[in-house]
Amino acid sequence: MKIVVAIKQVPERDAPVRIDAAGRWIEEADLQWALNESDAYALEEALQLKELHGGEVVVLSAGPERVGSTIREALAKGADRAIHIDCEDLGQRDALGVARLLATAIQPEDPDLVLTGLQSDDLGYGQTGVILAELLNLPHASLILHVEKSDTGITVKRELEEGWFQNIDLPLPAALTIQSGGAKLRYATLMGIKRAKTKEVRRIAAAELSAPPEAAVVLDRIALPQKQKITQVLSGSAQEAAAALVEKLKFEVHAL
Amino acid sequence: MPLGISPMTIWYPRRPAAQSCIVGCSTMVPMPFTLAEPAAFPLVERILFAALAIASGSLFWRRFGPIFHRILQSKKDADFRLAPVGRRVWDFVSEVLFQSKVIRQRPLPGIAHAFVFWGFCAFALVTLNHCAVGLGIGFLSPEGFFGRFYFCFAAVFALTCAIGILGLFIRRFLVRPRWLGAKLSWESGFIAFLIFFLMATYLAAFFVPAGSTAITVLWWLHTLTLLVFLPIIPHTKHLHLVLSPATVFLSRGSFSRIPPLAGDEDFGLVAGTDLTRLVSLQAYSCVECGRCTEHCPAANTGKTLNPKEIILGLRSYLNEFGPASSEPLLGKHNPPVAPFQCTTCGSCEFQCPVGIEHLPILVGLRRGAVNTGAWDDDHGAKLFLSLERGSNTLGMQAGERDKFIQKQQFPIFDGTQEYCLWLGCMGGYDPKGREIVADFARVMRYLGTTFGVLRKEKCTGDPVRRLGNDLLFQQLAEANLEALAQNKVKKIVTICPHCVRTIQEDWKEYGTPPEVEHHSEFMARHLSRLPRPSQQDSIVYHDPCYLGRYRNVYAEPRTVVSHSGQLLEAERHAERSFCCGAGGGLAFLGEETGERVSHVRAKELVATGAKTIGTACPFCNSMFRDALASSTDTAPQLLDIAQLTARALPQQDTSSAS
Ligand code: SF4
Ligand code: SF4
Repeated sequence: MKIVVAIKQVPERDAPVRIDAAGRWIEEADLQWALNESDAYALEEALQLKELHGGEVVVLSAGPERVGSTIREALAKGADRAIHIDCEDLGQRDALGVARLLATAIQPEDPDLVLTGLQSDDLGYGQTGVILAELLNLPHASLILHVEKSDTGITVKRELEEGWFQNIDLPLPAALTIQSGGAKLRYATLMGIKRAKTKEVRRIAAAELSAPPEAAVVLDRIALPQKQKITQVLSGSAQEAAAALVEKLKFEVHAL
Repeated sequence: MPLGISPMTIWYPRRPAAQSCIVGCSTMVPMPFTLAEPAAFPLVERILFAALAIASGSLFWRRFGPIFHRILQSKKDADFRLAPVGRRVWDFVSEVLFQSKVIRQRPLPGIAHAFVFWGFCAFALVTLNHCAVGLGIGFLSPEGFFGRFYFCFAAVFALTCAIGILGLFIRRFLVRPRWLGAKLSWESGFIAFLIFFLMATYLAAFFVPAGSTAITVLWWLHTLTLLVFLPIIPHTKHLHLVLSPATVFLSRGSFSRIPPLAGDEDFGLVAGTDLTRLVSLQAYSCVECGRCTEHCPAANTGKTLNPKEIILGLRSYLNEFGPASSEPLLGKHNPPVAPFQCTTCGSCEFQCPVGIEHLPILVGLRRGAVNTGAWDDDHGAKLFLSLERGSNTLGMQAGERDKFIQKQQFPIFDGTQEYCLWLGCMGGYDPKGREIVADFARVMRYLGTTFGVLRKEKCTGDPVRRLGNDLLFQQLAEANLEALAQNKVKKIVTICPHCVRTIQEDWKEYGTPPEVEHHSEFMARHLSRLPRPSQQDSIVYHDPCYLGRYRNVYAEPRTVVSHSGQLLEAERHAERSFCCGAGGGLAFLGEETGERVSHVRAKELVATGAKTIGTACPFCNSMFRDALASSTDTAPQLLDIAQLTARALPQQDTSSAS
C-alpha cells in the first residue's frame, strides 16, 4: 500500500505565542516548532499499516525552510521519503489554497491512501484534509481513530459523540482525516534520525504547483483568548454535588 | 606459566631444605622445627615434573586463550585513555594490593580474603623456587640468610592464608549468606580445599625431618595440587585472580561514566559487536561475590534485575556467541526487562571489588534498546514524547513555571546576579519541589546572595540520559547549554542532585557547562550566618544516590541537618544508602513489580524513630511522600534540608536579593 501523509509544522505546545504588529498573525521569530498533534497520529497510523501490509509511506509538508526539521522527524520515525513544498506564505493561504498545493503534489504519486490530521493545532480549521479529498476526487471519512485493511478496501473506526463509534468500509484509494489518540505514538530514536539522513526529500517550489489563488477566506484579526475565572456553587446534597462535579470535570473541563 | 596481567599470578607455597635452624646463622638459637627440602630429584622425577608442568600450563592456556581472545576481539573502547596513570596506579595499590574496597565494605570476609591474597603474593617467590627445585635449579636456599628469612616470612602468610580460606569456606558453605545464591558451588569448595592443602603441605615441611621420604611426598603433593589448581582457574570465578588486577587498573576511572557513542553505527549495547574490550574484560572478571546484588534495590524488592546476573549473562553471551555476533544482547542471556528496572543508584558499581562498572553496561543496554526503538513501554514513550514536544518531564505547560516564578517574585537571571538558580522539573512544576525551591530562595535572600532564574528552562535530560535516549538527551543538553551561554551564566545552584550530576558531567559531551553546586553545599558553606531553630528535633537524613555515591557529598548535608536538629542515621547510610526508587527514569515508568523500593526505604527511615525525615533531593522527597501517605501509622515529618534551614529564618525576610 502506498500512503501519503500530509503533515504540518505548528508552534510547539509550550511556545509563548505573541501576536505580531499587524494583528493578523503570530510572531514567528522566537518560536519553537513541532509536528501537529493529529498529524503525528496520521503518520503513526500510516507506519502501522506499512508494518502490517508493506508498501511505502511518503510524507508531504508545505512551509518554509524550517519545516525541514519536522519532515526529518517523520522520516526518523519511519517514513520512506518526503516531499517538501517550499512555501513562505502558508499563513496567507486559506484551507482551499493549501489543499490545492497538496493535491497537485499528491496527484503524480497516485497513492492508495491519503492521510492527514483532523485539524491543525494553530489554525484549527479542520477543513484542509476534507477539501483535499474532494480535489483528489477520493472517497473520504473524517475523525478516524483506526484503519484496517479489508479484502475490498479498508474498514475505519470513526469517532462519534459521547463514546460512540462507527465502523465504515471504504474502497481504495481513499482519503482520511485522523483523530488524535487512536494509536500509541512511537518516540523518535537515534537510529531513526541517522537512517533519515539518507532518505530522499524532494523540494518543490509552491509556484510550480499553483499560482497563489485569490483567498476565499482572509484572516482579518487574531487575538489571544480572554482568561476567565468562573466560580460555580453546586447545590444539593453532598452526593448530588459530587456527582455534578464529576460530570463537569469530565465534560466541561475535560479534566477526568 | 600464566603470568597474565597480574602481579599475583603465580602463587602458592612451600618448601625449604633441611636444617635445624633458621634466621641468622647456626650459632643462633635453634628453632624447634626443621625446614625440610628434598634433596636432588632423580632424573625420572624431574622429567615427570616437567611433563606435568607443561601439561598443566597448556591446559590452562587452552582454556584461558579463548577468553583472552574474546576480550581482545571485542570492539576497542573509543574513549579509553591511559592517563592519568597516577590515579590508576593509586587505585591499583589501594584496591588490589591493599584490598581496601574488599575490606572496607565487608570487613570480616574482606580480611579473610586479604589474607589469602597476601598469602598468594608472598608465595610467588616460594613457588617459583619450588618449581625450580623440581628441575634441580632451586635458587632459594634455607641455608642462606635471605632464604631462611623468606621461608619463615612466607610461612606466616601461609598460616594466615590457611585461616583465611578456612573462614571463607565456613562462610560460603555453613553460614551461606543469601546473596551468594541458593546454589552451593562445588568448585568453590574444591578450590578452597586446594588452597588450604597448598598451605598445609608447605607448613608441614617445617615439621618433617630432612632427607626423609615424607619431605619428598610433601613436595609432590604440593606440586600436584598446584598443577591441578592452575587449569581450573579459567573456567571458574577464580579467573578473577588473573583478570581483576587489570580490570581495576584499566577501569573507566570515574563513577558511572557513560561513554560517548562512537560513530554513526553505535547505538549502545545492542549485540555482541557492541561489546567493548572493557565490557568483556569486566564480564570475565566477576568473582560472583554478590556484593552488587546484596545492595541492589531492584534485586532486593523482587524485580527481575540482578546486577550480578547481568554481568554473568554477558559472560555467557560471550562464551556462546562471542564478540562478533549480531545476536541481541537482550534475549537469551539477559532478560530485556531487567535493565529497565535499574534505578541507577550505583550501589553495585560502588561495591564491586573487582572494578566492574555496571552503570555503563546497564545504561548501555538501555541505549541499545531505546536508540533502536526496540524498547516499547507506554510510560517511557509518554515521557519521551512529552520531552520531544514540551520542556519538562511532568508534561506540564511551560506557562505553569512562569506563573510560579511570578508568584515567588524570582528575579530573571540577567548576568548581574551571582547565581543562576536552576529550578529543574521538580522545582519548577511539582508542588512540593516548588516549596523546596521557594524555601531555598528565602535562605539565599536572607544571606543576601544574588540570584536569578532563567526565563526558559528545559529538563536537563537526566531521566532520558539514564534511560538511554541519546537523541533526546543531546537535544535537551544542547538547548540548555545554549540558553545558559546566551545568558552568560557562570554559576548554577540547584536543589536537585540529578540536575547537578547531569549538568556537570553528562552535558560535557556537548559543551562546557557552567560551574554547578547542590544547595546542600551552598548552605553548608554559609551555615555560620544562618539562625538555628529553637527546638531541636531528631532528624534522620537520607542520602540521595546522586549526591552521595555520584558526587561524594556526604558531610555537607549532614552539617546542615545538624544545624537544625539532632542528626540520626538510618541503618544503611552514606555510601551504603539505599535508593528511594526514583532514579534512572523510574519515577516516570509507573507501577513497579514486587515490593516498592520507596516503601522499603521509608520504613527503614521511620524505624529510626526520628521526628523528621530530612531529604536533599526533590525526587526522594516525592517518593517518600507517597510511601509515607500509604503507611497507616503516624508518619514523621518530611522536609528537605532547605526547608529545615528556612524554618529558623524570621518570618518576614529583612534582606532581599536584587
Ligand atoms: S544501579 Fe542500583 S538498581 Fe541498578 S543494578 Fe546497580 S544496584 Fe541495582
Ligand atoms: S559484579 Fe562485582 S560485586 Fe557483583 S558479583 Fe561480580 S564481582 Fe561481585
